[in-house]
Amino acid sequence: MTETPTELTLTLDGEQVHAKDGETLLDVCRRAGKEVPTLCAEDRVDPMGSCRMCLVEVEGQRRLQPSCAFKVQAGQVVQTASDKVKRHRQLLLSMYLADHELDEDDLPRERGTGNQLRQHVLDHGTGPKLPAINAPREYRMENNPYIHFDPEACVLCNLCVRYCDEVEAVSAITLAGRGAKTTIATADQKGLLDTTCEMCGGCIAVCPTGAMTEKPSLASDFREEEVVRSTCNFCGVGCQVNLHTQDNKVVRVTSPPAGETVNDGNLCIKGRFSMEFIQHEDRLTQPLVRGDDGALHTTTWENALKVAAQGLMGVKEKYGADSLGFISSSRCTGEENYLLQKLSRAAFGTNNCHQCAAT
Amino acid sequence: MQKHNANRPAVMDLLEHHGGLAPGVSAKVSEETGVPEADIYGVVSFYTLLAKPGVARVCQGISCAMAGSDALADALQAKGEPYEKVSCLGYCDQAPVQIDKDMELTKHGPRGSITPDDPALPINLGGQDDASYSALKAFEGMDPDAFLDQLQGSGLQGRGGAGFPAWIKWKAVRNEPIGTRYVVVNADEGEPGTFKDRETMLRRPHRLIEGLAIACKYVGATTAYIYLRGEFPAPRRALELALAKARPHLGGLDIRLTMGHGAYICGEETALLEAIEGKRGMPRLKPPYPTQVGLFGEPTLINNVETLACVPEIVLRGGDWFKNLGKTEAGSKLYCISGHVEKAGVYELPLGATLNELVQAAGGYVGTPKAFSPGGASSGFLPMEHADTPLDFKGLTKVGSMLGSAGVVVLNDTVDMAAAVRWQQIFFEDESCGQCAPCRIGCRMQRQAIDAFIESGDVASLEHTEDLHWEMEEGSICGLGMVASLPLLTAQKHFPSEFEGS
Amino acid sequence: MFGAGAMTNSIPEIRGTDLMFVIGSNTTEAHPIIAMEMKRAKKNGAKLIVADPRRIWLADIADLYLQLKPGTDVALLSAMMHVIVTEGLHDRAFVEAHTTGFDDLVASVQTATPEWAETITEVPADDIRQAARLYASTEKAGIYYTLGITEHSHGTDNVYGLANLVLMTGHLGKEHCGMNPLRGQNNVQGANDAGASPIYYAGYQRVDDPAAQAKFEAAWETPLSPTPGMNLNVMMKHMGGLIRGLFIMGEDIVLSEPNTERVEAGMNGLDFVVVQDIFLNETTRFADVVFPAACFAEKDGVFTNSDRRVQRVRKAVDAPGEARPDWQILVQLAQAVGYPMPDYQHPSEVYSEMAQLSPKFSGISHERLEDNVGGLQWPCPDPEHPGTATMHTEGPIIGKAPFQTIAYRPSEELPDSNFPLLLSTGRTLYHYNAGTQTRRASGAIAKQPQNFIEMSRRDARKRGLDDGQLVQVSSRRGTVIAAVNISPRMKRGCVWMPLHFPEANTNRLTNDVGDPVTQTAEFKVCAVRVQPLVQAAK
Repeated sequence: MTETPTELTLTLDGEQVHAKDGETLLDVCRRAGKEVPTLCAEDRVDPMGSCRMCLVEVEGQRRLQPSCAFKVQAGQVVQTASDKVKRHRQLLLSMYLADHELDEDDLPRERGTGNQLRQHVLDHGTGPKLPAINAPREYRMENNPYIHFDPEACVLCNLCVRYCDEVEAVSAITLAGRGAKTTIATADQKGLLDTTCEMCGGCIAVCPTGAMTEKPSLASDFREEEVVRSTCNFCGVGCQVNLHTQDNKVVRVTSPPAGETVNDGNLCIKGRFSMEFIQHEDRLTQPLVRGDDGALHTTTWENALKVAAQGLMGVKEKYGADSLGFISSSRCTGEENYLLQKLSRAAFGTNNCHQCAAT
Repeated sequence: MQKHNANRPAVMDLLEHHGGLAPGVSAKVSEETGVPEADIYGVVSFYTLLAKPGVARVCQGISCAMAGSDALADALQAKGEPYEKVSCLGYCDQAPVQIDKDMELTKHGPRGSITPDDPALPINLGGQDDASYSALKAFEGMDPDAFLDQLQGSGLQGRGGAGFPAWIKWKAVRNEPIGTRYVVVNADEGEPGTFKDRETMLRRPHRLIEGLAIACKYVGATTAYIYLRGEFPAPRRALELALAKARPHLGGLDIRLTMGHGAYICGEETALLEAIEGKRGMPRLKPPYPTQVGLFGEPTLINNVETLACVPEIVLRGGDWFKNLGKTEAGSKLYCISGHVEKAGVYELPLGATLNELVQAAGGYVGTPKAFSPGGASSGFLPMEHADTPLDFKGLTKVGSMLGSAGVVVLNDTVDMAAAVRWQQIFFEDESCGQCAPCRIGCRMQRQAIDAFIESGDVASLEHTEDLHWEMEEGSICGLGMVASLPLLTAQKHFPSEFEGS
Repeated sequence: MFGAGAMTNSIPEIRGTDLMFVIGSNTTEAHPIIAMEMKRAKKNGAKLIVADPRRIWLADIADLYLQLKPGTDVALLSAMMHVIVTEGLHDRAFVEAHTTGFDDLVASVQTATPEWAETITEVPADDIRQAARLYASTEKAGIYYTLGITEHSHGTDNVYGLANLVLMTGHLGKEHCGMNPLRGQNNVQGANDAGASPIYYAGYQRVDDPAAQAKFEAAWETPLSPTPGMNLNVMMKHMGGLIRGLFIMGEDIVLSEPNTERVEAGMNGLDFVVVQDIFLNETTRFADVVFPAACFAEKDGVFTNSDRRVQRVRKAVDAPGEARPDWQILVQLAQAVGYPMPDYQHPSEVYSEMAQLSPKFSGISHERLEDNVGGLQWPCPDPEHPGTATMHTEGPIIGKAPFQTIAYRPSEELPDSNFPLLLSTGRTLYHYNAGTQTRRASGAIAKQPQNFIEMSRRDARKRGLDDGQLVQVSSRRGTVIAAVNISPRMKRGCVWMPLHFPEANTNRLTNDVGDPVTQTAEFKVCAVRVQPLVQAAK
């Protein structure tokens, strides 16, 4: 459908770099290793250019231009670190700080998932300290078990809204109000549970400042979490997940970054949030054997294995190997399924083995 | 994501029909249009006429404020009647004004003046409106390239404020690859001090329609939109009548009237397109420009009412004729004047007329003039030493101001400049769309700064205004943020004694 | 199909397609992440055709929505084939080069006009025509389906019908096309691949193939039976008869299998039952021994997803109490009955053994998966092979693929005066299968606290039922209680229920009659009646 884009050359901070027609300046800057800060840029949604962090100087343009949306052109001369760009970044960061909850060091407060605004302030510095603007923002989306929104940490990059509309496509949230009163809201300021929200948590994943966070792990310090990469155990998509653990508990689930996995950074409510079962008090913790009273009783592994072996071998001896059936699980690992058929065929001598689901 | 075949452009009319912002309305409109409910809530909460429907509105624009509109608000307050103080309503010549829930004027001063009938003027507000569509017929007999030569030769610049040569946009849209294209009339007149388009639509609607029809024919559009500000019911009626009368001349051209719902920012051309599409009026990034990617993604020519109204006479009398009407730049110009002058109104003068010439047409100053805004809030304030500076696009830029929409407001020495600044900064804070950080945060900060200064008399309150202005100008997406600090900055610059503090 | 039972193409290819034909798959609920790819394709300008009796969410954004009567897919697909061959829209070169039996197929669909199909499916003939033309004339066009196709008494015919469409239009072996069954569980594909099947060893090697038998006998050092075993549906029917003992790993068969009453009776007729699971469930009520197992977050291994992608599962936390990973328990049980199963130290050793015996994935190992963060897609025959995103690029791997003629026949149990409503069942976004995991998740409980029955406003009004009212839903096999959910998504005469609620088990209603080839039960069509709950009966 698309033709091969033409190669072109432009000048980036004094050096000749190659680019393809259709790319943005940000694409080129990233490839060249330039540190162009962003807040509202995200590959999975259309550029909006509203956070203004990524502005660069383009020769021939009267004003600074958003590199996330500005397309490359042959012969362009672009500066990412000129005095003008630097002054802009610092003043803009000063303005953001005046509209953001700060910690005792006057830095953007760390959130459950990190705060890129804080990092930008540390990396690029700020201009003068400006008085707080105390923007009046109405918000009430709290009625839901998973997603917490804190407008004091919101930079209105609109990524959550764009993700919700363009990627998850349920469009449960919106920019609402106008001017300094603008905020993220649901229709009629309803709780998320009463909207089209499907609680995929994508808003959390794309939020650059942690204004959107996981309620269950609000109190958890993300810097103390260990992260183990695994595969989600629900449907057949095979989403890659990062299991965040603390004190031998799974406290948070996130997706590895977009671009390298089948889920491309996305998760659904089950993958991201439905992990309470892992630490649930109903989990089986000991082998059980049915007693003469008809009830299940806890026992040792040794005994449980012995009873099971005797019981199954008893059936085999009485009715033959093919009177036994082995039902495997599409929920278990490949190795386990392999071992179950091996158990069925090699240890008991029957091909009566099948997994629970044909699809 | 919206449903297949969703009808987004219907959103705003339906919201108005169902009573604006109220529980359940977004859901209802969502069901009727296939647009997500949250999107609709985003829209209804953006536009003041939808977000707070059914109340009286008192203008707090600078001319009305100077004429005592606070008293109107106080009277409503005393009666316990629900009302809202709103940005300039576009009746500065009749200040102070108040409108009712149906947008009709309920309180106003005497009607403003206009230049008397003079057939030598291209718009000639005082003349009899001509529904013969002779210019359209003449255009149809012309070679398009010959027409473009005339348009280019006329030197016609966009009268909405930017002063961009009209012919370049016309040519650009015409030259786009074959396909749908649109012409959109920007009739969302809202710059404080400006009411010329209102008078044009009331008095010479056929001038506009004829100019629009010529534009459509030239660029190859079969559908056009007139985006009219919602607080203008009288111009709406005039346009509707005129459109009905014009229909036989238009050869099937579909001209649609879309009403605004209370957002100054929709006068910004790309925000206007968003509004017609049924979205929040947030300006788009440029490039791409509307001439390439405009309404519904198609090439679109957007012109101001006055710009299009100039076109018929250019067709009939030629580009040179028009050009020579001007003094320092091409053509005549509708200047609005209000504030401390004898006869506020709209005067069609050679482009490049000075303040003193304009005020002369308006019967002279009231009191001792101290300052003026040549082009609405966005142009900041100038001291009287510029009373003989030509009011044109290029010249005013050189003195750190701009002609903009030519909404001239005169302030006499009874006005405290800090108070005047405050009115303008309130305007920008209220009207910033909130999309980009420099404007959203900066507009509020500048308003808070002037408030703090007025309250405390402490000049330290104003120490960051220049830095903020720099960032708002460099960093904002659209023109609103770029100029929003000018009232404060220019007042500080030209009237330093009033900002020395106590 | 075409030589391998899996998605022919890859999930990431969806975003680049120009047309999606989604049939019998409520993708946004059952496979939300794949649905995101579809939404992205739509946003990029792809066309979308949805065929489903329920007006599912995707139907809202579809360019063409075909609301067919449940169980009439064969008629719809036959008519689409009819349009394609009569209008000459088929890919002659592909048919010639890569298929057999085309002439028979053409003859078989001769009378299957869209007008005929309209009388059966209730889909307007013109919409059928338009769908066929769009699908046939779009170069990058993919078919996506799930259990709405397979869980029928004619599920095999449905699949054949789709395969015929793919073959006649040459939508095979090319990027962004293909025939794509979306797998319901995390490792359905992997379980099949690993040989959890009555007829195949790991790697789709038949148990009745002497060469395969010899290979596995040598590897496992024991004689093996060459007689194909019973599949799950057959085992279920023979419980208490031919089947006297069951070993069940990680599956709540009492909740998940159709016709619960019959399953329960069968379980009671067994001599001995071992269940290995992470929670007590409906099935453990019948168990003699219950082994506590580790869940996915507590063990290592691999899952294979819908697009044949082998990916790692890694241990993040310790299993609770004395619970053990399933693989360890299986080894210990084998050893307890005297079979010398090796003492594997880690699942990677098990995987190596399987890979050595299975050419399809012999190039895959845990070690390679560490470096391939996006997983490896089989076929992957050697350690240098990059894996296979799009299959059949050199033509069907079985050589020439045969067209299969199909003929419409009604579902086994259709509504009548006693049971006037047609019930389909399925999954919801919030819950998962037997609910063991999601019924313990606060979000899912908040969104969907109890079993419900979706019905059209007219059907509800006819019975005097209000939204949210509790009703008794009965079929010839049983009765459950559910809350009425009046929904514009439902066709008149059709109702729909989810299958996640043990206390109101929808499978007490469903029919266990199976497809003649796969024995997959007809979860998607049975007849029910709905009555207000009699309060006194409580």
